[in-house]
Amino acid sequence: MSLTRLRGGTLYDPANGANAERRDLYMRDGRLVAAEPGASIDHDFDAAGMIVMAGGIDLHSHIGGGKTNLSRLLLPEDHRGSGAEGGGEQPINGRYLRLPSCGVCTPGTLATGYRYAEMGYTAAFEPAMMPSNARHTHLEMGDTPIIDHGAYVMLGNDELFLQLLAERDSFERLRDYVGWTMHASKALGVKVVNPGGISAFKFNQRSLNVDEQHVHYGITPRDVLRTLSRALSELGVPHPLHVHASNLGVPGNIDSTIATMDAADGLPIHLTHIQFHSYGVEGPRKFSSGARTIADAVNARPNVSIDVGQIIFGQTVTASGDTMMQFRNAPLGSPKKWIVGDIECDAGCGIVPFRYREQSYVNALQWIIGLEIFLLIDDPWRVSMTTDHPNGGPFTSYPHLIRLLMDKGFRDEQLAKLNPEAQVASALPELTREFSLYDIAIITRAGPARLLGLKDRGHLGVGAAADIAVYRDEADKERMFTSPAYVFKDGQLVARDGTLVATPTGGIHYVSPAFDRGIEKTLRAYGAANLVGNPVHAAISDDEICTCCRGGRLLPVACRLPS
Amino acid sequence: MRDWTCPFCPLLCDDITTIVHGDGALDAPDVDCPRLTHALTWFSGPSASQPAIDDQDTDLESAVQRAVEILKGASRPLFGGLATDVAGARALYPLAAGCGAILDHLHGDAMAASTAALQDRGAFFTTLSEVRARADLLVVFACQPSVSYPRFYERVLGATEHARDLIFVGCEVDPAADIVENTSTHSILKDADPYDILAIWSALTEGTDGRTAASICGDTGIAHALVDLAERVNAARYALVVYEPAALPGPHAALLIEAVNRIVKTVNRTTRAGALALGGDDGALSVNQAVTWLSGFPLRTRVSMPTRLAQEPPLDHDPMRYRTQRLLAALEVNALLWIASFRPEPLPPNLADNVPVIVLGHPAMRAMLGARTAPTVFIPVATPGVDSGGHLFRVDGSVVAPLSAARASALPTVAAIAARLSGLLDSRSLP
Repeated sequence: MSLTRLRGGTLYDPANGANAERRDLYMRDGRLVAAEPGASIDHDFDAAGMIVMAGGIDLHSHIGGGKTNLSRLLLPEDHRGSGAEGGGEQPINGRYLRLPSCGVCTPGTLATGYRYAEMGYTAAFEPAMMPSNARHTHLEMGDTPIIDHGAYVMLGNDELFLQLLAERDSFERLRDYVGWTMHASKALGVKVVNPGGISAFKFNQRSLNVDEQHVHYGITPRDVLRTLSRALSELGVPHPLHVHASNLGVPGNIDSTIATMDAADGLPIHLTHIQFHSYGVEGPRKFSSGARTIADAVNARPNVSIDVGQIIFGQTVTASGDTMMQFRNAPLGSPKKWIVGDIECDAGCGIVPFRYREQSYVNALQWIIGLEIFLLIDDPWRVSMTTDHPNGGPFTSYPHLIRLLMDKGFRDEQLAKLNPEAQVASALPELTREFSLYDIAIITRAGPARLLGLKDRGHLGVGAAADIAVYRDEADKERMFTSPAYVFKDGQLVARDGTLVATPTGGIHYVSPAFDRGIEKTLRAYGAANLVGNPVHAAISDDEICTCCRGGRLLPVACRLPS
Repeated sequence: MRDWTCPFCPLLCDDITTIVHGDGALDAPDVDCPRLTHALTWFSGPSASQPAIDDQDTDLESAVQRAVEILKGASRPLFGGLATDVAGARALYPLAAGCGAILDHLHGDAMAASTAALQDRGAFFTTLSEVRARADLLVVFACQPSVSYPRFYERVLGATEHARDLIFVGCEVDPAADIVENTSTHSILKDADPYDILAIWSALTEGTDGRTAASICGDTGIAHALVDLAERVNAARYALVVYEPAALPGPHAALLIEAVNRIVKTVNRTTRAGALALGGDDGALSVNQAVTWLSGFPLRTRVSMPTRLAQEPPLDHDPMRYRTQRLLAALEVNALLWIASFRPEPLPPNLADNVPVIVLGHPAMRAMLGARTAPTVFIPVATPGVDSGGHLFRVDGSVVAPLSAARASALPTVAAIAARLSGLLDSRSLP
């Protein structure tokens, strides 16, 4: 197979400690390889003066599945007139390289894959796949071209889990059930959304704090968090329990957010879109930044990782499994239309469009809180850059967000445009930290890869997949990160100067933890009594996942062996 | 074959044992479902059938070539019927983009009403297992579920212990509901206007603020019946409102769907409830989902071709303009690709005899086409769940069922033919 050289670039590769290291890279058969003296170079790319990083990895982006497609259905206005930009649909030899696909905050799957790749991202992970909706989710991710993908399966609101927990069934059986669910749904991780709360809402409970009892099962969110984090730890699943904490959006939720961290009893736990869970009750409006409290808590707890869920001003849509909170927040939405649904004794979904406004005190403070969290957490390896696409804003805002983190002057300019009261309530002016390219490489690729257990992604070492983004070094970081000079996916050039040149099919990352198959008897009995579907069809086989993913490569991620 | 999933209605019952006879005929002796029994009559013999061009037998290769010529010669083709599975929709989308096609479904009118209500106001929905596990009150609005979905009650409510009340509003009691144990049934307002029912019920649900029901809607029978209904919904642990978009009076069924969902949203301020729409037959739900995720727009969308004019959008969604019946009646399309893989489905009314047609259809469709003036290509295709595997969305939209072939078949899938056509269409401008 042919040998490709990327010549003279400056490497930012934190996983291998390379900070602005000028070095050639070699690719063969989709992998990075060592220099081969004397070997003939088949393809040579000049990266002199350019910045080279591994392909970007988005560990929390709602790219596929029921609630994403309902968001598309809900917002035709997001799609009208949004598909022609960039001229990417221009045909080559009378055929489309990229098929028509449109939308800004809820783009079609095709547009999603194209735009991620054009920005230098090579993987994105759907964080909220319901077991009952797993096939749908994989079908959509399979139709998201170029980038690799994977999903976290939702547990902790499904009636069976809560029943077993309430009956104080053995931990081993709960652990086997978690293992079986990951296996059956081809998941990479497990997510819990408002632990127990989605189920409680089905029993007409309207709020649920970390140590409050579920009105029907009597269990608490803390019980759910403790059991799930222990189960993942014993199953050896690399990604920690991915937690959308209780009380999303509620002023004063910092206490329950910190209680959520501690519910893991020191085991690894990932708190997602933590910005939405970092609100205090100070000040005349009883809504204040809890960023410093939250950042201090994260800094003091090495078992905790987070992603931010930064909001970006403008129109977007929030799509969440958290029916309890989405129903409560629906009156705040814009435009005034929303969807909530209860789903299959598994979980639910709530879709509420939002327009984040610079002149709104609350929205401005949300924006400030997100940035404060980025700037106040010491260890970038435990922070991943997300907007919780599309909930805080579309993923296409990442270059803008990178500039906000890297450029204090730009940040101050933006802050000055916001609601004046929010500016006064902000610690942002005093935070002088500016992210370096090395920091950016950590929070956008090396860190997420490590948190997900992807050993051959997110870095540029020999043996890694040749997923590479090459940027022109520009003072305007937003421009720089919008249109990389070259993007390689598994060694193939897929985009050049922000324009696609190839659209290969991405692969799927998933784990196959070991578990006792005896649990299937429990599942069959439960299914027969409570579910409409036949449990024999629940699990997705390897062959079927290949079909769902359009023949994309299966990329199994190893579980740690029990020690 | 045990645990077979029936593809013939969107309940996608997956508990069926089928017997395949030596000649390929299928039987499901243990299931009492008239819809399945009728569907299986279309599979009572061998699946073999020849492709045809202009009513003359031909081979697959010639039929595919002729189909490509038709698509190349059409500036405005319509892909109609679209009775296929997810794989079919996935393969038809690039073909549509390759020739600038408009996409609409056999059940486009019912789908469009649901879509319009969703796009304008949203929804509050629930799914079959939630109903099974939770619903103590079922309000069936202006439909008889068992007519189109014979096993609805058995599958959703059967073999459970829960006591439930079924109230049929704006229609008679569905006799099939009797099979469910522990259930009381009655009907109210069976002859009342459905718009009036929903308007008054909605007002009552919003709360009368101390006013009497009579001050809202007069001292009428309809008011008293709906006051009682609203109270029962309020007292329920989990109420379901089930409706059937295709059974609602047209052409403005979207208004009724909006009203049902508005009532359910309001009810949820104090107690719990969900709405369930029964529809999406013949792959409608599946194709609508797949086209939505691929493009961003639901069905009744035109996908422009690569050589489109500069001012033409790559995608144009227009549920009024891109309605099959209107397009055909107004002679706005100059070719029809008709997809009917689940059953023989006649070509649509209003189709002018001089419009070229390509049919990817059930083998028995060959006999239905007859002689036409315009070029007509017939390619028999596999039925998902009978001749091939596949995926379909269940009626509630949240579950995708995997389908398995029930018998051996040499018929190509819609997806395979669409991919061939795309490949040949693409090669037109290569040297």
